[in-house]
Amino acid sequence: MRTGFGAQLAALAGILMLWEVGVRAFGLGSHVMPTASAVFRDLWANPELMARGIVRTMTETLLGFAIGAAIGFGFGSAFAVSRAFERLLFPLFVLSQAIPVIAFGALVVMWLGNGIWSKVAIATYLTAFPVTVNTCRGMQSVDPQRLALLRSFGAGGWTIFWRLRVPFALPSIAAALKLGISLGLIGAIVGEWFGDTVGLGILLLQAMYNENLPRLWALILVCGAIGIFIYALFEAIERRWIFWKQEI
Amino acid sequence: MANGTADIAAPILQLSNLSMTFESAHVTVVALQDIGIRIGRGEFVTVVGPSGCGKSTLFNILAGLAEPDAGAEIRYHGETKRALELLGQVAFMPQRDLLLPWRRVVDNAILPLQVEGMPRAAALKRAEPLFGEFGLSGFERHYPQQLSGGMRQRVALMRTFLFERDLTLLDEPFGALDALTRSLMQRWLLEVWQKHQRTILFITHDVEEAIFLGDRVLVMTARPGRIKLVLEVPLARPRPSSMLTSPEFIALKRQVLAAIEEESVKSFQQTAAD
Amino acid sequence: MRGHVYSVAGPLGVFALWELVVRAFGVPVYVLPAPSAIAKKVVADSALMLDGLAMTLMEATVGYAVGATLALAIAIAFILWPRLERVGLPALVALNSVPVVAFAPVALLWFGSGPGSKIALVTIAVGFAVFVNAHQGLRSVDESAANLLRSFGAGPLRQMAMLRIPAALPAIMNGLRVAVVRSMIVAIVAEMLAAFKGLGATIFESTQQIDFLRAWAAIAVASAASMAWYGVVNWIDRRYVFWR
Repeated sequence: MRTGFGAQLAALAGILMLWEVGVRAFGLGSHVMPTASAVFRDLWANPELMARGIVRTMTETLLGFAIGAAIGFGFGSAFAVSRAFERLLFPLFVLSQAIPVIAFGALVVMWLGNGIWSKVAIATYLTAFPVTVNTCRGMQSVDPQRLALLRSFGAGGWTIFWRLRVPFALPSIAAALKLGISLGLIGAIVGEWFGDTVGLGILLLQAMYNENLPRLWALILVCGAIGIFIYALFEAIERRWIFWKQEI
Repeated sequence: MANGTADIAAPILQLSNLSMTFESAHVTVVALQDIGIRIGRGEFVTVVGPSGCGKSTLFNILAGLAEPDAGAEIRYHGETKRALELLGQVAFMPQRDLLLPWRRVVDNAILPLQVEGMPRAAALKRAEPLFGEFGLSGFERHYPQQLSGGMRQRVALMRTFLFERDLTLLDEPFGALDALTRSLMQRWLLEVWQKHQRTILFITHDVEEAIFLGDRVLVMTARPGRIKLVLEVPLARPRPSSMLTSPEFIALKRQVLAAIEEESVKSFQQTAAD
Repeated sequence: MRGHVYSVAGPLGVFALWELVVRAFGVPVYVLPAPSAIAKKVVADSALMLDGLAMTLMEATVGYAVGATLALAIAIAFILWPRLERVGLPALVALNSVPVVAFAPVALLWFGSGPGSKIALVTIAVGFAVFVNAHQGLRSVDESAANLLRSFGAGPLRQMAMLRIPAALPAIMNGLRVAVVRSMIVAIVAEMLAAFKGLGATIFESTQQIDFLRAWAAIAVASAASMAWYGVVNWIDRRYVFWR
């Protein structure tokens, strides 16, 4: 969706104002809906707590994302280049996507322990599939005429791969990366629910058990801000490096 | 005559002083300048010009999709109108066939009738007799993807003809076809035109096509587009293809080519500089 | 036919390998049970599984229906009333940036531990997935085709019905497909946090009670249901959106 970073922040500001006014006007109790100011007060009161949580969760997310993206690119390329490989393993990938991996969370934690790596594993799993599919589809979308042209120049397998297939696939890979990182974030948060002591997921859980609504909404705001920031970052990179999206 | 007017009694369409300027952040482009035209009922008028001369812009204005600069005078059926009021009044066929891939041939053909509000049954009845004439018998229930380029153009033409309006605008309908198909389509179009008595304005970049088809040929200049030459084509109808090599035809062709050649060079240099 | 053989061969191969590895290395049940053991457990606990499946499926499908309908309505409204879009779209995009799971605790506190909270969450998750795709599809219509319809005198409603919606169907179907899996996952995750019944609750309780085999059984049932539903949507896509 093509709304700018600035427009999103402005919209957020608008929502906040509406929120504040609305809650006060309707006299909603703070156990139903806290005022925006109450939420912000909570945010300012615990910067270290929030910061630690953010760092932990983002580390899990980024690691999982990086590994998942690499795996996805590798498999996707292999699938694009070899039909046999694709026919054999691709349905497996599709199958794996129907499995609510989140449900595995408890088991993953048991296998990999309470620490950072179980969350990384979940995030990796969630990122790998979209990247695989989009890499494969993107590379397969090279039109045969361009392919023939390169071959007529005497280009061999690797040249065709790096000079033609990869650039062609980049726009859809970019789309998958955007999806992947948001899924990775979700995976990290839910992974933390299964056992951990630090992280945004843990903070959410604690706030829920304590029925601490201002804290919950503060965390929602933080997650939203992270989401917006990541998305804007990816969009900027995409615009700078993959500017030919329209031509394909 | 450098302003496109001829002695035509009771013209259907009269344009004078029509200009179109496109303003954007960096550049101002004058697409059309001081266009003046008179089109009589039942005429077949062709428009030729180099690329970028504004032919398609002119058609967009006449179809009511764009508003020219202030000061333009448009008289349709003798009444002064603003360009936007022409929307829905003119049968417009753009360069691409724009057939909807989820509709069968017959449904694509009756599209404008349905937009007008005609119930499907009535629209189908209206369309039915035309399939044979447009060379589409047997293909009514096909999907556009299953047809050749020439057939898709015929569906688009049938769609345009079913939209019964006094003025029909055809924007390079045969541009994408190979030469053989094109000459077949040209002769066929003339038959359809004579049978249905429509008034047609036809854009082409092919000089021979322009002369072969038209009662009059309007030659446009490179940007900013003006009417450079209006040529009467006094050749008798029906016109056999042997006419293409007759001395009269060649003389006309020479005139148009001379006018166009100059403009084509200008237009080429323009686009190189852009 | 050959293609189908391959697509079945792959997964079957993996299951066979899995079974072999577990048996050959004597892998304990609490680390990785064999497929055969899981299958047996599903049958043994079928009453519990079906009960949980019914609840989870209900939450997922109701949320799916509500979310998809709302999403389509809003996407269409945005096209018909551009001013609404100018205000609403940035707001929606901002809300979309929040990972759905972050809303789960709030939903649970507001709607309690019953199915209502799960339905609410599924609605949000599905809504966003479908909206993004529908909005993109409706927007990216060929402008020349829209102009052609306008030249016939078609107003915005006719353009919507005759052009934009059919042209956007592939994109909308895409969103609907993606949303299927999301709805099951969101329902299950929410149940794991707090629920009375459902596959997610079963999985959670099983891990608490160290009955990992039952957890796996529940996961297997959830996966099968997810895949079946996805298959249905895919079939509808292929059958009715054929012109892609």
